[in-house]
Amino acid sequence: MIDQDQPNTRPGRPRLGGWLRIALIGRNPNVTLARAAILVATCVVVFKFVLLPIRVEGVSMLPAYKDKSLNFVNRLAYLRHEPRRGDVVGLRLGGTNALYRTPSVMYMKRIVGLPGETVAFADGHLLINGTALDEPYVNGPCDWNCAPVTVNPNQYFVVGDNRSMPRDYHVFGQAKKEQIVGKVLF
Amino acid sequence: MVRFVLALAVAALGVWLWLVLFPSPEKVIAGQFEKLARAASVQAGAGYLPRLAGAQKVGGFFSTNVEINIDLPGRQQHATMSRDDIVQAVLAADSSGGLTVKFPDINVMVGADKETAQADITVEARVPGEQDMMVQEMKFTLRKIDGKWLITRVQTVRTLS
Repeated sequence: MIDQDQPNTRPGRPRLGGWLRIALIGRNPNVTLARAAILVATCVVVFKFVLLPIRVEGVSMLPAYKDKSLNFVNRLAYLRHEPRRGDVVGLRLGGTNALYRTPSVMYMKRIVGLPGETVAFADGHLLINGTALDEPYVNGPCDWNCAPVTVNPNQYFVVGDNRSMPRDYHVFGQAKKEQIVGKVLF
Repeated sequence: MVRFVLALAVAALGVWLWLVLFPSPEKVIAGQFEKLARAASVQAGAGYLPRLAGAQKVGGFFSTNVEINIDLPGRQQHATMSRDDIVQAVLAADSSGGLTVKFPDINVMVGADKETAQADITVEARVPGEQDMMVQEMKFTLRKIDGKWLITRVQTVRTLS
């Protein structure tokens, strides 16, 4: 017969309070504390210096990136190779010229022109060195016209996907490589 | 060990107190820009008097003559404005629906003479109900006049060339 009022004192079977304690702070609180500190430090390093969490604001990257959607910017994406055409990148603005600073606000744009290439818009079509670029990510009518521009060395021509908005409301052009914070992950 | 930790804590407290009591010019200027953003923000449906008070507060951050260089698509302005002109311009702006201004990224560089400074700032303006917010990179030049950092020059910066 088991006395319900008596705590379970059999060895190897912790009480309910014991289980809760183990679930919350582990068998060895010092080890748990060290693990928690390592976890917090890892999160700070990862989410501040490697994968920046971002929230998309606005419609300039529709339809691929919707307003208020969440994403990450991989700051290490271009350590081993140069940015490529089609990459969606985060671009820093003036308040964070210092490279070590993490920008609070970034432009999110797609790289369409590489250094040395000529970029133009003709009746809404993006021309690279005079040839129309196939852009499956662009959806919607576009009537932009823009004279050919030769992309400077160490710069990239960036533009948003939503070309159905008026050209004057859309920020696009050449960005220095130092302005690129990283590649948008998804 | 305990003494060492205690000494470290006291030293950290001392440094923190020193930084609070004697902030660097960069910190003073950044704090001023935060106040400017608050003053430039307008609550939806705010009456004339609160807007006037806000506009006058905004004017207080500028010197008596301010050089304005705005180069935006569809708007170019190169002028020298007085403080009153700035107050009037802020009042004239259509902000009846409300306006939230923020400076999320502020980078201040104080000159070697410690009397002038330059601030590279990301300006974020949001009108309630509108999907797109306005983001603009700007450069402010400041001068220390009568012990106060005042804006003497405002210019827009094209993020992409």
